[in-house]
Amino acid sequence: MESWILTIVIFTPLVGGVLLMLPPYGNNASVRRSALFYSLLTLGISLLALFKFYEGAPANSYDDPAYLLTHRAPWNTGELIDIDGLAVPSIDIAYHVGVDGISIWLVVLATLLMPLAILSGFRSIRTRVREYYCLLLFLETGLLGVFCAMDLLFFYVCFEFTLIPLYFLIGIWGGSERRRAANKFFIFTLAGSVLTFAGVLYLAYYSYTTLGYLTLNIEKLIELGQGGFLPYNLQWWLFLAFAAGFAIKVPLFPVHTWLPLAHTEAPTAGSVILAGVLLKLGTYGFCRLSIPMFPDASRELAPTIAVLAIIGIIYAALAAWVQKDIKKLVAYSSVSHLGFCMLGLFSLKVAGVSGGVLYMVNHGLSTGALFLIVGFIYERYHTRKFAELGGLARPMPWLAFFLIFFTLSSIGLPGLNGFVGEFLVLLATATSATTDDGIAAGPLGYAYAIPAALGIILSAVYMLRMCQRLLFGSLVEPAGTPDTSTGLSKDLTRREIGILTPIALCCLAIGVYPKPLLDTFEVATRQHVLRHPAPRTRTDAGTLEQQRSASLRRSVASTAPAGDLNKLSTPTNRASVGLIGASALISAREDRTPNASAESIRVKQPASRGGDRRPGDDT
Amino acid sequence: MSDQVLYTCGVLILLAPLVGAVLSGALGPVLLRSRAHWPVVAGVAVAFITSVVLCAQVAGAPEGATSALIPVYDWIAHGAQDAKGATAYFKVEYLIDPLTAIMLMTVTGVSLLVVIYSRDYMREHGKAVHGYERFFAFLGLFVFSMCALVLGGNFLLLYLGWEAVGLCSYLLIGFHYGRPAAAAAAKKAFLVNRIGDFGFALGILLIYLTFGSLEYGAVFEMVSQGLTGSGDPLSGDRITAIALLLFCGACGKSAQLPLHVWLPDAMEGPSPVSALIHAATMVTAGIYMIARCGAIFAASPTAMMVVAVVGAATALFGASIALVQTDMKRILAYSTISQLGYMVLAIGVYAADSAIFHLFTHAFFKALLFLGAGSVMHAMGGIIDVRHFGGLRKVLPWTFATFVIGSLALSGFPMLSGFFSKDEIIHHALAAHPVLGVIGLLTALLTAFYTFRMVFLAFHGPYRVPEGVHPHESGIWMRAPLLVLSVGALAAGYLGAEGTGALHRFLEPVFADTFVRNNPIHIVEHAGFWAHYGLMIVSGALAIVGILAAYLLYVREPWIPGLLKASAPRAYRTLWNKYYVDELYDGAIVKPAQRGGRFCVGLDDYGVDGLIWVVTAIPRAVAYLLRTAQSGLLQGYALSMVAGIAIILLLVLWA
Repeated sequence: MESWILTIVIFTPLVGGVLLMLPPYGNNASVRRSALFYSLLTLGISLLALFKFYEGAPANSYDDPAYLLTHRAPWNTGELIDIDGLAVPSIDIAYHVGVDGISIWLVVLATLLMPLAILSGFRSIRTRVREYYCLLLFLETGLLGVFCAMDLLFFYVCFEFTLIPLYFLIGIWGGSERRRAANKFFIFTLAGSVLTFAGVLYLAYYSYTTLGYLTLNIEKLIELGQGGFLPYNLQWWLFLAFAAGFAIKVPLFPVHTWLPLAHTEAPTAGSVILAGVLLKLGTYGFCRLSIPMFPDASRELAPTIAVLAIIGIIYAALAAWVQKDIKKLVAYSSVSHLGFCMLGLFSLKVAGVSGGVLYMVNHGLSTGALFLIVGFIYERYHTRKFAELGGLARPMPWLAFFLIFFTLSSIGLPGLNGFVGEFLVLLATATSATTDDGIAAGPLGYAYAIPAALGIILSAVYMLRMCQRLLFGSLVEPAGTPDTSTGLSKDLTRREIGILTPIALCCLAIGVYPKPLLDTFEVATRQHVLRHPAPRTRTDAGTLEQQRSASLRRSVASTAPAGDLNKLSTPTNRASVGLIGASALISAREDRTPNASAESIRVKQPASRGGDRRPGDDT
Repeated sequence: MSDQVLYTCGVLILLAPLVGAVLSGALGPVLLRSRAHWPVVAGVAVAFITSVVLCAQVAGAPEGATSALIPVYDWIAHGAQDAKGATAYFKVEYLIDPLTAIMLMTVTGVSLLVVIYSRDYMREHGKAVHGYERFFAFLGLFVFSMCALVLGGNFLLLYLGWEAVGLCSYLLIGFHYGRPAAAAAAKKAFLVNRIGDFGFALGILLIYLTFGSLEYGAVFEMVSQGLTGSGDPLSGDRITAIALLLFCGACGKSAQLPLHVWLPDAMEGPSPVSALIHAATMVTAGIYMIARCGAIFAASPTAMMVVAVVGAATALFGASIALVQTDMKRILAYSTISQLGYMVLAIGVYAADSAIFHLFTHAFFKALLFLGAGSVMHAMGGIIDVRHFGGLRKVLPWTFATFVIGSLALSGFPMLSGFFSKDEIIHHALAAHPVLGVIGLLTALLTAFYTFRMVFLAFHGPYRVPEGVHPHESGIWMRAPLLVLSVGALAAGYLGAEGTGALHRFLEPVFADTFVRNNPIHIVEHAGFWAHYGLMIVSGALAIVGILAAYLLYVREPWIPGLLKASAPRAYRTLWNKYYVDELYDGAIVKPAQRGGRFCVGLDDYGVDGLIWVVTAIPRAVAYLLRTAQSGLLQGYALSMVAGIAIILLLVLWA
């Protein structure tokens, strides 16, 4: 059960979607109910997974970084080859899932938002209902797959797969410009991720030349990068290739222009999932893959990314300010917020990464809720123009309450969730160059925090403008509205309040007591994102080489003959093993992950790193 | 002073108003309706009583043990590790010391009276107005926020309270959200405060960067030792930068130049809200913050000079605008700006205890004046412009009597509360720099003049009221707070007045190491008779002169103001338009930023997308070229085949 739970979480929506497509076809109401049921079931199982994760977490220390709840089914393609007396498949590709403190919460976020998104369309989606919910459920599987993937190929497949349902969701159920929006969205994101795929292929090929067998195991690839076995040049190019796909997804300035259009045209549920979860695939990709796999390139390119992120923060905020369409305003606010998230990640500090990840969660909650509210307004008034609406607080007090609440969450009012993430990001940016957290000094500094903090003012400017125009002043409604023909009441219905309330409670809880999340983020960050304290740049490659061979000798001296390599992974000498990375056995965690412990990474040492010396040769 | 008692007190002070607010808000619409004030009244009353208990605890504590830091729970992990290698957190924790105690008493005491007053004020003809429960819920939240601000034991909690009072002011100023002016004023208040918060947040970040901690005690300790968190010597520039950034936040919240613009507009809120904002909560936060961060400010003479100059300039600036305004609440608003200027000036000349003293007395008489103005407004059916009514002393005797007491106190009339505290500040200012002192005296004269101008215009002269208004004195719920506050306005000064100086002695442990040490004079001990009493006589005389001048101009010879107005139209218009600061900001900042926003949108729609169009045009162009070759004509294909073969043959044969 334990090892299957993630698989069940990932595939429940898929199975649900398939079941929806099979006869007997129910009527629309029963389709809606079953879709909601499958998504709620997924939520329930993911909460169970969260519980299981916490049960396993205490044993999971910095010294013994492990992914929990792993499940692995190797493809077993290619023949077994002999490396140091161990039989290893020559192509190490697997269905391999697992979570750490970062991804488990993103899984929960995705599974939490999906039932709410499904529920939000109960009244507004009246055509092709079955397809609509099928696509949403398929989309959920794709999203969960990305967050749980431990194999790069599986990651990429899920990453790309999310495009398909969303393309149709926007293209079929969207607004008046839905075709253009869907095409733009698809082409933009596909163009970027093709480059990412090129990067994935090259990385796989490179692992083959270095290790002697081809691997797409994310853990092993991270070891490869952290161990310094990717030359700087290669890292640089691979970083760019990966970033091409991720940056468009985030979206980072200046490749963000697909987002306002896609958001505006998408149906409410599409916007919610797009903003709430899909954008996080980009930032998640950066923090799960780019930063740990290409540490030197990340460090080198971090200032560039940070500058783009800061430009995005200010640029999108200014653009949001002058929007005439509510949904576009919220869409631009997303761009601005994700800039903060990127800034936090690339401060390369523990506080920044965990703040950035918390920012992902917060943004998913508050912006998701804002899109829901915009959707509720649109269903009643059939317009999203500021000019045609006003003074809604009087007839719609519940709407006013929630809109102001999520506005405050979004602009980072202390006591609500937004603040915690924002503050940690700014804190980490400002203190990036210090080493208080035991991690090497980061590339940013206080100077980066100053323009970024302008976001504090600007977010309030555009969000409060929205509140003022929509809620306050004298009542303005288009003729013939509010439209209650679909069974909606003037103010929010119970269903709608029921959708927003859980999100609001989460916002409040995270704001008041973020400890459960931050603790796991911090552990995961130290384990998997920013692992090694030694700064590595082009300039000190020489010293690095010495360090490496020294630690290699150290670890080798402490090692028994080749057959006994497993002993290496005791916590005490774990660090030195980590430093030489691929030169020794890495992933032996027999106690927790029996499936994963079968093979180990071995290195066919490149000639430049000491000829054919292998672990064990010296003894 | 046991920790357990303090912990309980802190929890009660924070939770009682909050629970009251939640109950009012949740049960108000369905159950309580026009009784929705009860939970908040009860909650704030509990908070006040607890504050008194807390104050007694602190006062009874042995010397050297008047300060306690009470942790509550771990809030935010900030990535760093503590000495034992465990995760370090920003905690939720209280700092309880004399400054906290005195602030809590002021905040909860005045708030309680305001809440009681609101019970009647928020009714029309005995019926609760629309949003009655919302109003009380927000009041409760406001008190909670301010208490959180004052109780917080680190900069992050200070920031929490700081933002939360900003939010509450936003909600309350915009209480009549149907009025566009109120909605705009609310937004303005929040945004101007956010500009200050921008500096404040950067200041907090710089503190963390420098000291590696945000806990008051740890930071101030390092400042006083002149060390940074890593043990290096602390540079003067760094501490000045920190102090000025923090001061930026104080300028926003305490309405100092150049961020004062939100406060007069905040008059759009109901009068009790104005009283709350101006007297007890919100604007005092900035003063409290500077006083709390005394160690940081006192370590930087440059920053202290800036603080003093800004304070003095604001004092004079606010008073000069108040001279010509006609809206009673607006006059009082500018007067608040001016009085806050005094407090800031006091801190700038190393007299933080005098600043807190003035904050304390000011809370009484300013709350009294606003509630009095509210009483007038209530009677006048919402009209508060003194051009529309006059001679009200007969119909509103209670209001008139209490209002005069408040005005006398504000004017610094001898032996009333404002007199003692203001005189002390001027005394310190004179000792620091003559110019500052003279500005203080001049402002005192103006204060007396504009205050009594307002009194005479509103309450003296022939009786006249707007059409259809039948003024009547307010009920007991409104009169009782006025009476209590009058007593405070009369007597609060004696708590800190010379001879007793109880307040100063109470506060001394807080400021002894920072301000008092650096202060050239220490008033209680060193001042000679004439050096001190001479000034008292001068400032008292100035107050009386100001009052008499107002009497002369607005009661005896009412034609003079018109003549003055006509003889200096430009000066008058400048004052009337508040030195055109709003217009300046609109033209210099808001409009250009909006243009920037439009530029960004344009760049998105045409620039970036255009570029992408160009890139995507390349494959399209290639396809277009190749398409012409696919004509479907066999002859064409044959020709190209022959040509191809010919070329290949040529190449092969050549090589």
